[in-house]
Amino acid sequence: MKRKSFRGGGERVEFPFREAFWMSVEQIRKRLKRSIIVVGSIALGISLLTHLEMTNVILATYMSSMGTTMEAYQFWLIIVSLFVCGIGLINANLIAIYERYREIGTMKCLGAMDQHVMKLFLIESLIFGLVGGVLGFSFGTITAMASSSVQLGINVLGFTPLEAILRYLAITTGLSVLLSVVSTVYPAWRAARLNPVEALRHNV
Amino acid sequence: MTDYIVETQSLTRHYEVGGFTVKALDDVNIQIVRGEYNSIVGPSGSGKTTLFNMIGGLDRPTKGQVFIDEIDIAKLDAYELAWLRCHRVGYIFQTFNLIPVLTAQENVALPMIFAGIPRDKREKRSVEMLEKMGLGERLHHRPMELSAGQQQRVAIARALANDPDIILADEPTGNLDLNTGLEIINILRELNQERGVTVIAATHDMKIIDVSDAIFWVRDGKIERAERRNSS
Ligand SMILES: Nc1ncnc2c1ncn2[C@@H]1O[C@H](COP(=O)(O)OP(=O)(O)OP(=O)(O)O)[C@@H](O)[C@H]1O
Ligand SMILES: [Mg+2]
Repeated sequence: MKRKSFRGGGERVEFPFREAFWMSVEQIRKRLKRSIIVVGSIALGISLLTHLEMTNVILATYMSSMGTTMEAYQFWLIIVSLFVCGIGLINANLIAIYERYREIGTMKCLGAMDQHVMKLFLIESLIFGLVGGVLGFSFGTITAMASSSVQLGINVLGFTPLEAILRYLAITTGLSVLLSVVSTVYPAWRAARLNPVEALRHNV
Repeated sequence: MTDYIVETQSLTRHYEVGGFTVKALDDVNIQIVRGEYNSIVGPSGSGKTTLFNMIGGLDRPTKGQVFIDEIDIAKLDAYELAWLRCHRVGYIFQTFNLIPVLTAQENVALPMIFAGIPRDKREKRSVEMLEKMGLGERLHHRPMELSAGQQQRVAIARALANDPDIILADEPTGNLDLNTGLEIINILRELNQERGVTVIAATHDMKIIDVSDAIFWVRDGKIERAERRNSS
């Protein structure tokens, strides 16, 4: 039988982005309940942020004389809401990833390296961040529009520039992705560096 | 000179538990001949799983070395270690360790992803492997939808996916009834004879060691006896 040589052989170990991406999508699809919880908690935080943000934009453009600065309490509300959202996400990720320790151990037995495990989780979190960001932004914008038109009459909506909406969509989604990815780094790293035996010992 | 595929030298693994030191493996020296079927036999707690983990490069020894093809695996870097697990060794576990959200076919294809095999080839090969294991009708079933014996056959197909030259099996029949267990052992023996894969199987079941070329008796972390049989 043929001998496999340790060094300089033709056989590789790899996990290219394309493969990691499709595996992430599969994982998200197959753990739909978990995924919905994570996306939901991102969307919730982001929609609160968006609500405050867009209410300001709408009011500012409506009453153009009044300037566009955000009030201090709103700023702190946003910071606190993002912080709470981030803590919640880290917690959700710790649990979700912990449930997959055995699977991580198995993948490592099949040739996965630490960085491959990281890659898988980070791509998943990127997708969660994108989806949660867009959903949260849409929801927050709708509630901002609804509450301002209740306060000031329906014609207030005509004053909201599309350009501003798109700009805030980009900024908010970016923030959402950042939030999601950053809150995945620690749980994923904790899992990825386990050796296969330690990871397989977990019986969830 | 005999061609040893695996050798251990003073292999020792201690666990610290509540201030005590458990000597799970204590100065173990064994040699595994290339292409043979080996059984590691011993009572519960004797150190079989620990030995399995060390030989497979899944955990690090406290002291001593494991050599695979005369290379000390403690000296491998992360990439080489992953390469060893990916291409050289196929692992089979008592609890199967299939990934529950993946189908049988996806489970078998998984190690081929890490080996860089393109999707269409992966799919073709995983289907072939499962058909060989008699699971052609079960390709798209998830592990939960399969019987224990079927799950273990999926695990064997997965272990063979990247054409390893060592199969490490830790109590592969531990969760199976006698007949299903014998079936699994016969599959492993056939693989050993047809493909020349070196098999190292741990068990505490005396009924399934008849097929072995070599038997290592383990007790309290030591090799009590190494027995060679003049089979085949
Ligand atoms: N992670 C661990 N922490 C502490 N002690 C451990 C650990 N793993 C194994 N041991 C101890 O090491 C010894 C050998 O265990 P091992 O699992 O290798 O036995 P085994 O022969 O595989 O047993 P079984 O047939 O029950 O699977 C036992 O005394 C066990 O309690
Ligand atoms: Mg054991």
